[in-house]
Amino acid sequence: MTYVMSREHRCALLAEAERAELIELADACIADGAQVRVLVGPEVGCVTAQVREPVLEQRFLLGDVLACRAEVELAGHRGWAMRLGDDRAATLAAAVLDAEAQSGRPRAAEIDLLCERVAGRRERRESQEWAELAPTVVAFEELT
Amino acid sequence: MGYSGARGGLEAILAAEDLVRRKRDHAPAPWSSTEQITARFRLAVDRVMGEAGLYDEPTAADAFRQAEGDTLEASHLLRAQRSTLPRLAVSEPVDPGEMTVIRRIVPAFREPDGPQLLGRASDYTGRLLERPDGPPKPSQKDSATEEATDTAEATDTAERTEEQRSPRRFMDLLRKMELLAEGRAADDPEPHDITRKPARPPADRSAVLAAMARAESGALVALWYRSILGPDGDVHEITLGELRHGRLPLRVRHPHTGNPVTVGEFRVTEAEAIEDLDGADEDRTRFDIGYGLCFGHNERKAIAMANLDIANRRFGRSGPLEQLLLLTIDGLDSGGFLEHLKLPHYVTFRSMVERKQAMRAAAEAGEDPPARAAEPAGKDCR
Repeated sequence: MTYVMSREHRCALLAEAERAELIELADACIADGAQVRVLVGPEVGCVTAQVREPVLEQRFLLGDVLACRAEVELAGHRGWAMRLGDDRAATLAAAVLDAEAQSGRPRAAEIDLLCERVAGRRERRESQEWAELAPTVVAFEELT
Repeated sequence: MGYSGARGGLEAILAAEDLVRRKRDHAPAPWSSTEQITARFRLAVDRVMGEAGLYDEPTAADAFRQAEGDTLEASHLLRAQRSTLPRLAVSEPVDPGEMTVIRRIVPAFREPDGPQLLGRASDYTGRLLERPDGPPKPSQKDSATEEATDTAEATDTAERTEEQRSPRRFMDLLRKMELLAEGRAADDPEPHDITRKPARPPADRSAVLAAMARAESGALVALWYRSILGPDGDVHEITLGELRHGRLPLRVRHPHTGNPVTVGEFRVTEAEAIEDLDGADEDRTRFDIGYGLCFGHNERKAIAMANLDIANRRFGRSGPLEQLLLLTIDGLDSGGFLEHLKLPHYVTFRSMVERKQAMRAAAEAGEDPPARAAEPAGKDCR
């Protein structure tokens, strides 16, 4: 069975991709002259982090996280992206890639490959992080 | 400049500001890049993000550089920047249990579920000043780390288990042992947004938690210390239950599918403080827990917050604590009021001098001084 990446999973990985790889692929997507309309932004603003604390399970607002969002229409399909930080070009490129993938246009498979690369990179980074952290696991002795 | 009956001075003000810029931006030392500040002064950057209430490391680093290392001034710059930005969304409620921990200790219990993970910490070693002549040579470990991250090279360490990544809370164990007071309510009130509507006592707990999350760290620690020293008559026996530093996912609703989508991760410090309930109207067979959470890596702040959360729930309204938490711990509020004292107060002070002179003249003329009336409580004094 072929794995089909959900739109949310793809958006999450595009939110984590490097700027250069997003822009390069987005440029390639629109190189065939497909019409692109920017519907929203790219706009820099805040996402308010709402937390449900675990003691009384009450919600509170921790603070704001800087983010950028954009929405485009490419060949009649809408693409949306949000990334943390204020990189407008990268966010716009991610929205173009979302539209390209949604429309099933020629570069859709390359977008899946990019997402797989991002996921692999995250996995390696986390493994490396654990390799550094694991030696700091401690078991203090208890004096009785 | 116009304030308190004084104006003018524009040329001197501009010259003073220019002096700040020239001495700061053209100091006879190498420029500190944004990356350098986030990498080498990470705790200062984290503190600025937390006190400003805006999470973005590069922006906080730029503010830190502009403020010449003054964290309160940097927070002020960051909060001013935030006030210019639109709110794109309120996130889906974040579950701190999802945290990928990079440090986690349970001082209350030797063998909790999951590891006691010291992570990046120097808590257990002596403080000795190092004064190197230059940058240290890269270690073999650093080179290996860089190579492994860039390539698909596997590491020798066993894969991280879910329990090692997001260990079960110590609090859950206490709950299972029926040692925890149950305070969870069935309703789910909307959280108070202190950035849009200032909180005044009596306030929801969500307002107090939000105020503490962006409090000035030193103010919060000082208030915690005062609370345990007991000048207000409150008695605490506090144990730190758990302390974590790690990454949490930020999710918003996708505008097209309506499903939650992760747009990135942010780092937080979380603390749980166990309180020994011993009040006459409290269940003395159980503990209660205070909760602390703040942006970045700021353990002192999170621990103070957790302790003050439970103190406020127990004693907040029988004494001054809730009022102190809501009205005195914001760095911009207190720092701003303090800094305004540097502005010209010529007119107000001259009126005070004239009052003194009038009273002296009246006394020398043998007149009785006017009856002294105490100022009513709460009267503004500027």
